[in-house]
Amino acid sequence: MTLSLEAGTEFRTRPRAMTRERMRWYVDGQPTIGADDGRVHTQPPTIHDDDEYAIKQGLPGIIADGMISTNWIQGLLIDVFGPQFACRSRLSTKYIAPIYENMTVIACAKVSTVVVNEEGKTVYHLDVWCEDEKAKKLTVGAAMVVTA
Amino acid sequence: MATGRYVTDLDVGDVLGPVEYTLSSFVIREYSHIVEMHHECFQGADGLIMPPTLIHLDKLRLYNAACPEGTGPTARIHYEYDAEVFAPARVGDKLSVIGRIKDRYLKKGREYVLLEMELTNVETGELLVRYRDQVILAYAQKPEASA
Repeated sequence: MTLSLEAGTEFRTRPRAMTRERMRWYVDGQPTIGADDGRVHTQPPTIHDDDEYAIKQGLPGIIADGMISTNWIQGLLIDVFGPQFACRSRLSTKYIAPIYENMTVIACAKVSTVVVNEEGKTVYHLDVWCEDEKAKKLTVGAAMVVTA
Repeated sequence: MATGRYVTDLDVGDVLGPVEYTLSSFVIREYSHIVEMHHECFQGADGLIMPPTLIHLDKLRLYNAACPEGTGPTARIHYEYDAEVFAPARVGDKLSVIGRIKDRYLKKGREYVLLEMELTNVETGELLVRYRDQVILAYAQKPEASA
């Protein structure tokens, strides 16, 4: 893949609703992946799929696992940079606001710097974030990718 | 040493693992599917590579090994993800993950725990991913003086 991106170039996903289903997919995925036997496994109630349990923990209701928004950012970066993002990169995210059921989430990335390293490879640094439909930031962070 | 019971017991200096496992195509496809990454490199028929974020589930492997009684009295809330990939992991690779508790502190009435993990290729010894994970041990705040 040949890329030529300038500082200031911005990317964003389509808006997605953080539905109950999307939250539960991640909850059930964890024990399913842990078992690695090809079958679906579930786990006891969590703050991501059980309102009663979440309220007992002091929350107003279920909240999305932060890794969902991190993965939506990563998916955007794979869209842009391809598999190389899984080969030499860095992604940092911080969850600055909870994401509740049915909130709109848009994953965004903006190229901050572009440099050529000692090996002659182009290194992109990006600001990344997730925002709601009013551009309120929910997740913030940074990314780096070294192109092949 | 605060391992051997609950995740909420973990403290600075604790070492989790190492845990070894072989990366399967099922794990890569399933994880990518649940977070809607439908890219060929994660969900194709062959040539799959590990999504970097999958390192987060290696944390659960370490928790399961070091904290057999589970989460503890409160639910954790993920606060910060920070993963650097040095080389890709591929299907069939035998991997080893180890974790170290680097910090535990109270901030605005909530306890934070910083875990640093390293994922290596067992056969080559190559460091593939370094991951720093911060969690809040409970959503409910408590007086700072009680820390």
